[in-house]
Amino acid sequence: VTNDWGFAHDLDNVSGQVAICGVGEADHTKASGRTATEIAGQAVERALADAGLEPTDVDGLMHVPMLKDRFDAAAFREHFGTTHEMWESDRGGGMVWAGTAPYEAAKALQEGKAHCIVNSFAVAWATQRGSMVGGPGQSHAEELSKQNLEVPFGWFPQPVYFATIARRHMHQYGTTQEQLGAVAVTLRRHANLTPAAIMRDRPLSLEQYLSSPAIVDPFRKEDCCLISDGGAAYIMTTPERARDLRAPVVEVAGVGLGNSVTGTHWSQQGAFTSTPQVFAAPGAFAMAGLTPSDVDVFTCYDPFTIVTLMQLEDSGFCQKGEGGAYAASGAVPFNTHGGLLSHAYVLGIAHVVEVVRQLRGEASNQVAGAEIGTYGGYTGPQASTLILRRAR
Amino acid sequence: VDVRPAFPLPDVTWEPARGFWEAAERGSLSIPRCDGCGRLTWYPRERCRRCESTGFTWTAMSGRGSLFSWAVVIHPFLKQFADAVPFVPALVALEEDPAVRIVTRIVECEPEALRFDLPLDVVFRPLEFTDVDGSVMAPMFRPRPREGER
Repeated sequence: VTNDWGFAHDLDNVSGQVAICGVGEADHTKASGRTATEIAGQAVERALADAGLEPTDVDGLMHVPMLKDRFDAAAFREHFGTTHEMWESDRGGGMVWAGTAPYEAAKALQEGKAHCIVNSFAVAWATQRGSMVGGPGQSHAEELSKQNLEVPFGWFPQPVYFATIARRHMHQYGTTQEQLGAVAVTLRRHANLTPAAIMRDRPLSLEQYLSSPAIVDPFRKEDCCLISDGGAAYIMTTPERARDLRAPVVEVAGVGLGNSVTGTHWSQQGAFTSTPQVFAAPGAFAMAGLTPSDVDVFTCYDPFTIVTLMQLEDSGFCQKGEGGAYAASGAVPFNTHGGLLSHAYVLGIAHVVEVVRQLRGEASNQVAGAEIGTYGGYTGPQASTLILRRAR
Repeated sequence: VDVRPAFPLPDVTWEPARGFWEAAERGSLSIPRCDGCGRLTWYPRERCRRCESTGFTWTAMSGRGSLFSWAVVIHPFLKQFADAVPFVPALVALEEDPAVRIVTRIVECEPEALRFDLPLDVVFRPLEFTDVDGSVMAPMFRPRPREGER
């Protein structure tokens, strides 16, 4: 397979030019009856408290381009009772943008558009589930190529796509059901160590995994992410300003962004068992002057067990196809909070929060001495790599 | 999900794929061929990704392909799939250009008998869904009989 199935974005070097100075998570739950806006507001409150900042200190807001429930300036002002003006960008939120929001923020800081920027993302998809409004399948069912050429055959929704990808990965590389199960079991163990994780009280053994029925073979339920209410936020400023605040400084070392030319049409993707992380990661590591072997803790957008293996491979932690064995080796701790499978399905924003906490030494499931952490974002058509480091 | 009442039946009048569904009704598998570079282009696009041409001609395929990958759906993710499970959605690489993978279903074969690169032939079967009126004839695939078999 050649590399003509995607491309890397040419990003300016923002290494060391933006820091994450505050992080907050909303309560992650099953159906809560709350709106996404309420959830985001709670996350932002907690991020402000973490940073020791007031709502009026925030003069920039980033939110997601594709969902209606966004915590925009109007929502911010209403929630916090302020009237102040704010710079806004819809190139933030979760998924791939949880990894690239710091790049956009670095630009806004350089250009003087804002000095203190909040990126937030929240969903109430567990609450909305009964009405089939929102949720991960909706945008796919509404996309006309998929609606007319995939859904009628039952190749829908995402668990079916990724079960098909997993089967091909198993064929190409010898990945086993046990290796997929080991990812689910590892993440559940991490969630069991994380009080904020939805699955904190629900242990899972490999035996339980293997004896559970397939829902879309080769996937069991435990191969698939949760559907949650929840969200998180992080606050960005210059490293200089961050040093005056309360938390240890975590700065951005590198950012990368890659695309697949076939977008969400996974069926036609040239490298069927790869993510565009192949294109995103090299630029991010080059910007940071680091290699994957320098990374102490890795979080990745992991909607299904197979995606964790693909992300480990495509980020360069191991050779393509060796993700199953590599994950089992424990060489790099991954999704230490439990990931989308066992922490909460808040689409990657909490993964960035987890990396920041790890680098501060404040994580529930702390990796001793972690100095370099990476988030691998993924949205199907795009992948991002965000490399963070503890400032010295 | 906010879509047509007939969902998940395809909208056979949706212009970009109309040729696909019209051909299926006649018992033919048809794919757009780019008038500029002559390559098969799937999914239908307004502009060829390779040569930027905007002209395409629906072209009959042999109906021969090989099994690229598949899933076995046991849980009905849509209520309309309730009477269909278990079923086998699959990606089939076409003989004319294996980079073109048709999303389809495998029929007339037990899931346990499937293997990668299995030679397949197109057959036309009606798509029908629980509590949805109507049906649409669609290209599905079954294992090609070995030499000497019928």
